[in-house]
Amino acid sequence: MKDLGYLIATVAILIGTFFSIVGIIGLVRLPDVYSRMHATGKVSTFGVVLLTLAAVFATPLAWSKALVLIVLLILAGPVVSHAISSASYRLGIPLKQAARDDLSSKRIQPPANQPQPAQAEPAE
Amino acid sequence: MLAHLRLTLICWLIYLAVTANFELSNLVVGLLIGLAIATILRPESQPLSLRRLPAVLFNLAKYTAWLGVDIIRNGIRVARIVLDPKLPIRPGIIAIQAGMKSELGVALSAHAITVTPGEQVVEIGDDGVMYVHCLDVVTSAEGAEEAQRKRRAMLERIFE
Repeated sequence: MKDLGYLIATVAILIGTFFSIVGIIGLVRLPDVYSRMHATGKVSTFGVVLLTLAAVFATPLAWSKALVLIVLLILAGPVVSHAISSASYRLGIPLKQAARDDLSSKRIQPPANQPQPAQAEPAE
Repeated sequence: MLAHLRLTLICWLIYLAVTANFELSNLVVGLLIGLAIATILRPESQPLSLRRLPAVLFNLAKYTAWLGVDIIRNGIRVARIVLDPKLPIRPGIIAIQAGMKSELGVALSAHAITVTPGEQVVEIGDDGVMYVHCLDVVTSAEGAEEAQRKRRAMLERIFE
């Protein structure tokens, strides 16, 4: 039973580390802020969750603690990457190599009672 | 009153999960903390029928499993893009109609999109349109409407 736990922990560490490394490689290689947020988001979902799982199986960490930690991470991680990319768009940081930008036709305005410009086309 | 009790119970359970210590003193401290939080937050009472609870939990589990499969599948796809020497990305922003009225529904849809690697919500319009940045805009645009329809059906089964 203990050996099985160590086996699961080892596999989880290997996969978690692999995805963390891929995330950092993506952070270096991808062209702009928005693409880079995808790569770092993967570190927080795959990397941290799998390493926490490994900790449950290999150390005397209570599984309930890990469960709460994983749920909070999964809930809060996307909020961070959304906040950063939204702030970047409002600051006017350009998309590089953009194939398509539905948001550019809709100028972002502060929430006031101004008439809205024409809406973007919905995705086909 | 019922809402207070429910919030207290939830806080107590989370406290016990985090501390993982079932001595009497810890149980009492957790209960006191739960009561304090429920008193400060003053939750609004919502109708909750115990009859619907199993169905809600079942749908929640189904949604979580679906989300997990989606995360793993897209994680592998993004890893392949990042490790490819040619870096075959086609980034762009597409608009997806959330199609949900409640703010919670739109927020949870946006969360589900952002938590999947390769897609993230940059902006949400007043009318519930989500502007999603994708690493591969062609592939994502094909499946986006269908995925959102599926997501909406699952979320509505949980909250309605």
